[in-house]
Amino acid sequence: MAADLMDKLKILADGAKYDVSCSSSGSSRSNSGGIGSAASCGICHTWTSDGRCVSLLKILMTNACIYDCAYCVNRRSNDTPRVALSPAEVAELTIGFYRRNYIEGLFLSTGVVRSPDYTMELLIQAVRTLREEYRFNGYIHLKLVPGADPLLVQQAGHWADRVSVNLELPTSSSLQLLAPDKSRDAVVQPMRQVNQLITINRAERKQSRKVPRFAPAGQSTQLIVGASNESDHQIVKLSEQLYQRMELKRVYYSAFIPVNQDTRLPARPVAPLKREHRLYQADWLLRYYGFSADELLDEARPNLDSELDPKTGWALRHIELFPVEINRASYEELLRVPGVGVLSAQRIIRARRQGHLGLDDLVRLGVVMKRARYFVTARGRSLEAAALDSSSLRSRLIDKTTGRKPQQLSLDFSSPVDDETRSLITGQL
Amino acid sequence: MTPASYTYDGTLAGLLTLYAYLLAEPAEVERISAVVADQQNLFTAEVSIATDQAAAEEFWQRLTKRLSDNALKLLRRCLLADHPQQELLIYHFLLLEGEQGKKIDGMLAHPWVAQVWKLSQQVAREAHRYLGFVRFQQVQGGLYYAAIRPDHRILLLIGQHFADRFADQQWIIHDQHHGEAILYDAEKKEWLLLPMKLHAQPEATPQETQFQQLWRCYFSTLAIPERTNLKLQQGKVPLKTRSCLTEFTV
Repeated sequence: MAADLMDKLKILADGAKYDVSCSSSGSSRSNSGGIGSAASCGICHTWTSDGRCVSLLKILMTNACIYDCAYCVNRRSNDTPRVALSPAEVAELTIGFYRRNYIEGLFLSTGVVRSPDYTMELLIQAVRTLREEYRFNGYIHLKLVPGADPLLVQQAGHWADRVSVNLELPTSSSLQLLAPDKSRDAVVQPMRQVNQLITINRAERKQSRKVPRFAPAGQSTQLIVGASNESDHQIVKLSEQLYQRMELKRVYYSAFIPVNQDTRLPARPVAPLKREHRLYQADWLLRYYGFSADELLDEARPNLDSELDPKTGWALRHIELFPVEINRASYEELLRVPGVGVLSAQRIIRARRQGHLGLDDLVRLGVVMKRARYFVTARGRSLEAAALDSSSLRSRLIDKTTGRKPQQLSLDFSSPVDDETRSLITGQL
Repeated sequence: MTPASYTYDGTLAGLLTLYAYLLAEPAEVERISAVVADQQNLFTAEVSIATDQAAAEEFWQRLTKRLSDNALKLLRRCLLADHPQQELLIYHFLLLEGEQGKKIDGMLAHPWVAQVWKLSQQVAREAHRYLGFVRFQQVQGGLYYAAIRPDHRILLLIGQHFADRFADQQWIIHDQHHGEAILYDAEKKEWLLLPMKLHAQPEATPQETQFQQLWRCYFSTLAIPERTNLKLQQGKVPLKTRSCLTEFTV
């Protein structure tokens, strides 16, 4: 281990960092006579200066690639130094970091060398070394290489906790334009196969607990937002289908910032991080709040409101359903009140069994009254003297939110960007 | 009767003795503090309760039988808190529990319950955060040593997690703020909590120095410059925690 390894680590981490998947949750592997365990809640170990959490050692096996995707930092036509780690080096580095509690596990991705099968085998070898030689029981997220043999996909899920293949672009036409070497089929096929294998594994484990788990933390994917001209409606709709039909655990969205000089790519989008933020909010509404994509967006309003969060926006469009009486509303109705989250809705339900709740009680139960005050009554009382119409409500709610927005919602372009060599998104897979 | 201030000797047994005494004959309490309160209050009487190990144990037995799992969890976390009023908050909670029994589990909006819940949340959040914020360094002799400075006494809440995870290495997690540490024995697979004071900085192995450099290099590479958001980072990694984090020290 020397300066050489340091250089490689730098280059390979630099190539992997644009993959936004960070979670280490969903698997509860226990330590069976070796080192490591996976906590089902997931654990963040630190946060970098861009505010993103570090949970896994996110690294590429190699940044060499036979593909030439327009948006990717590792594309063939970029003139960057190419390096590779051996499976043994990946394992040693992971264990070294893990023993010091720097990380929760490994996120292993790669550029494609020689062929998809050859590359996939390399990844699997690294993970097997960890599991078999080091008896490592920590979290492993493994990328699937599109076009790899189904048998290799099966092996990947056997060793890893989570597997993923990046969809990259929301429609197949954009994929064809920006990543001509990849086909939509090659991406979707392993995803479908993993979904089937997970379903089969679940059924088998019902019969016998001795059947080893297959990808216990499920699969996820990533979409680049803003590199092609899809609307938010198309994207949210796609996510909804991925959650329902493919049973994905997560869809990640990555704001696109053009840094590669490429005529196929659009000019700098407006407030890309804000769009990304709104998409994540919509994503949460799909997964935890019982909303459907068509409730949030439609053909007439294809994009999310940049000034209001999607739930408040929905409430303002359906003002006739409000105010909601918190002592009587069902759990599903409570979830749809702006300012009420999953935890506070559950607490309201529990607390009101002991007696009627007043408006003061809501604050103690964790409700954000700044938003909720316009949408609830307690024992018939409201904090607002008169019912407001949705346009005046809208202006009040916007004023409330803009004043306290600390997060950076546009990208910082002040630092000079060296084009050609960098792009904000890897499309290594 | 005027509200009184009570003092105890600062131990858990002392506090439990005090609770047993107070709950036997519920009184109005203005303040409960460890050792002698630094300011004498003209209008309140100060009562000091001597620790009675047997009474404390009996009280705890009774309590664990009576309380629901959930209430007991709240109570445990609050006992580990480091908060100027935790003793009083817990007393109010126990007082209400005496009146209401198991119903207290659902009384989430009651001010006395909400306060205890909030404190317990703070402790639980910090404990969870420290599952990630512990940084072991390998010192001469092969031992892995980690220093932390948490607000609350969270060691008992995180010990088992690390014992499961690092079952094959000797390690110590040292809470420098509260002067105690967990020692893990990899042979016996046991851990215990002890008072601890550090007299000299432990000496890192050469391999350790290399891994620290690799980690710092990795950490700085991982940030995306165009997305820099230091305020968000500071919300997640407060400045007070950074002195013990390898990636924030040189």
